[in-house]
Amino acid sequence: MKLEFCEIKKSFGEKLVLDGVSFSAESGSAFGLLGRNGAGKTTSIRILMNVFPADGGQILLDGAPIDYKKVGFGYLPEERGLYPKKKIFDQLVYFAELHGMKKQDAASSVDKWLVRLGMSEYRDKRLDTLSKGNQQKIQLVTALAHDPDIVILDEPFSGLDPVNARLLKDVVREVICNGRLVIFSSHQMNYIEEFCDAIAILHGGNVVLSGDLGEIKHSYPRNRLTVRSRELEKLRAALPSDVTFESDGDGVSATLTLPSPDRKAELMSALTRSFDIDEIAVKEPSLNDIFVEYAS
Amino acid sequence: MKRFRTILSFELRGYFTNKVFVAVTVVLVIAIAAVLFFPRAAALVTDIFGDDSADGTEEGDGSDEINRDELPLMLVSAPDDIEPAVVGSFSSAFPDYNVKSADDIDAAKKSVSDGDAECAFALDSLLSFTYYSTKESFFDVNPSVAQDVLRSLYTVSAMTSAGISPEEAESILSAEIECETVTLGESNGGDFVATLIYTYIMVYALYIVILVYGQMVATSVASEKSSRAMELLVTSTDPVSMMFGKVFAACIAGLSQIAAVFGTALLCFKVNESFWVENELIRSVFDMPTSLFFYMLLFFLLGFLVFAFMFGAIGSTVSKLEELNTASMPIVMLFVIGLLVVVFAMSTGDTDSLIMRICSYIPFTSPMAMFTRIAMGSVPAYEIAISVSILAASVFLIGYVSAKIYRMGVLLYGTPPKPSAIIKALRRA
Repeated sequence: MKLEFCEIKKSFGEKLVLDGVSFSAESGSAFGLLGRNGAGKTTSIRILMNVFPADGGQILLDGAPIDYKKVGFGYLPEERGLYPKKKIFDQLVYFAELHGMKKQDAASSVDKWLVRLGMSEYRDKRLDTLSKGNQQKIQLVTALAHDPDIVILDEPFSGLDPVNARLLKDVVREVICNGRLVIFSSHQMNYIEEFCDAIAILHGGNVVLSGDLGEIKHSYPRNRLTVRSRELEKLRAALPSDVTFESDGDGVSATLTLPSPDRKAELMSALTRSFDIDEIAVKEPSLNDIFVEYAS
Repeated sequence: MKRFRTILSFELRGYFTNKVFVAVTVVLVIAIAAVLFFPRAAALVTDIFGDDSADGTEEGDGSDEINRDELPLMLVSAPDDIEPAVVGSFSSAFPDYNVKSADDIDAAKKSVSDGDAECAFALDSLLSFTYYSTKESFFDVNPSVAQDVLRSLYTVSAMTSAGISPEEAESILSAEIECETVTLGESNGGDFVATLIYTYIMVYALYIVILVYGQMVATSVASEKSSRAMELLVTSTDPVSMMFGKVFAACIAGLSQIAAVFGTALLCFKVNESFWVENELIRSVFDMPTSLFFYMLLFFLLGFLVFAFMFGAIGSTVSKLEELNTASMPIVMLFVIGLLVVVFAMSTGDTDSLIMRICSYIPFTSPMAMFTRIAMGSVPAYEIAISVSILAASVFLIGYVSAKIYRMGVLLYGTPPKPSAIIKALRRA
C-alpha cells in the first residue's frame, strides 16, 4: 500500500496553509510528518482523513484516489479527547462501531486491546477517573481497535512515563510489522528517528525535505568523525593542523572535522593505531539537527 | 447515514442512563399523579372527617347554627319596614358571613371598631347605605354585592307598588336568556374557553419541550467539542449521520418523557374521572379531540427537529460550554418571538390574522402558529398540507446544513465565531 500526497493545496480565508504539499509513504513502515507548530501537519492529516477537502491536488492510495468507504483510518489526535463521564468499555466499543465493526467484534477487539495495554481492570470505570497517561492508552485503543489500514499518531508519546512509552513502542512496532501504514507526527525527534524510515518536513506550507531518513543522513558531507577515548588530550595534540577538534564537553568525546571526506579512512586508521580508542565513526547529523536546519 | 443506528442507540443509552433525566421524569410523573389523585385523597379525608360531623349532627340539633356563628359577623341597620327583607337577602347574598340586624347605627359602628363585627351596613333606604369596615381592601366586594342585592329588592318593591305580584316580579327578574354559540367551519366540538385553555397548555408544552431538548442537543455537542471527542467523531463517521443520530435520539428521549408524563396523567385522570366531573377545565383538557392530539404530535416532531438541528449546529461552533448560552440566544429569541405572536393572537381571539397566517408557513414559527390556528379555528386542509410540507422540507435542509456546520465546527476554536465566519466556513466545506 502506497500513499501519495500530490501537490495538495489548502487555504483558510486569506491564509495559505498548504502550498502544493507532496510526499509518499508505504505500508509496513512508519512515516514521520514533521514541522514546526502551524506548519500544516494537522491540516494535512485532516485532508487525508476527509474532514475537509483540499483546494487542489489529490491524495492517492496505490495510484488511485482513496475510497473512504473501504480504507480504514485509525487516528490518535494531538488534542486527546473522549467522553469523560462515560464508561471506558462502552465508548471504545462505540468508536469501533463507528468505524464499521459489528458490536460483538468491536467488544472482543476492545477487550483484547485493553488486556494488551494492561488496562482491563479499568474496563468498566469512567474515563475521568483515570490518570493522564492511562487516558492516553485508552485513546490509543480508539485508534487501533478497528484494525485500520492507515494509523495516524499525532504526538503519541507525550505524557507517557518511560514504562508506558516502551509499551507503546512495542505496540507501534507490532502495528508496523502487521503491514499497516503508520504516520507519525511528533516534535520528539528521538522517537521519529527510532521508528520512521521516511520523513517529510513541512515548513511554510511546503515540503522542504522528504525521503528515506537513512539516505537523507547519508547525503550530508561525511567529513566529520565522532571519537571517544580516554587519551583525548594526547590525541588532540597529534592531529594534523587542518583537522578541527571540538570537545563534546564530557572529557572523553569529541568531534573532528576534516577539510574533505577523502582522508577520513586514513585518519581513522591512524588514530586507532596510535591511541586507545573506545569508539570512532563517521558523524551523521541527528534528525534534530536536520529539522532545525530545514524548519528554522 | 450508515452509522445512524449506532449513534442513535449510543445517544439514547446516554439519555436513559442519565440520572438527572430519569429523576426529572420520575418527579414529573409523581407530581402529575399526585395532582390528579388529590380530589380522591381529599374526598377520603372528608369522608373520615364527615363521619365525625355526622355523628355530631345526630347527637344534637343546631350544628348549622353553630357553624354560622363561627362565621365573621356582618351587622345591618335599616328602617324597620325593610330590615327583615334586607337581612334575609343579605344572608343569602353573603354566605360567608353571619348576617344579623343591629340595634342602631352607633352600636353597629362600635361593634366594627371593637372587632366584634367585621363590617356593617347602615341603610337609610333601599337606595342609600353606608358601609363600615376596619379593613380597606381592593378585594372587598361587599359594597358592590350589597348594591346588586338592594337594586333587586328595590325593583321588586317598585314592581309590587305598581300592582305586580311579588311572584310575578320574581319570575320577570329571574328570566334567563338562552344562548348557544356555534363555530362555523371545522368546529372541534368544545367550547371556546376549553379550547383556549388546552391550546395554551399545548403551545406552552411545545415551547418548553422544544427549548429544553434543543438545549440538551446543543449541550451534548458543545461538551463533545470542549472535551475534544468531536475531533475523533468527525474523523470516525460522516457528520450527517452524527447530527441526525444525535437529534433523533434527543427527540425520542423527549417523546418518551412526554409519553410518560401525559400517559400517567391520562391514566390517573381515567382512574379518578368521577372526582373531576365538576372541573370543566381539567375535563376539557383530557377530552381534547384526538385529531388535535395528532397535530400536536406532528408539529412537536417537526418543530423539534428544526430547532434541535439549529441548536446542534450552534453547539458545534462554541469552544466551551460557558459560551453556549450567548451563542444560542438568536435561536431562543426566534422561538420566543414565535411564542409571543401566537400568545398575542390567542389573547385577542384573532388566530387567523395576517401575521398568524404568515407565521404558520415560516418553519421557525409554524409549529406553534399552525397548531394554534387548527386548534382555535378552521384551517383549510391544503394550508395545513403546505405548512407541514415546508416544515418537513426545512427539517432536511436545516439538518443537512447543520451537519456541514458541525463538521466545520471542529476547526472553530477560540473566540465564538460570527455568523459571517460560519457562512464562510460553510462555503469552504
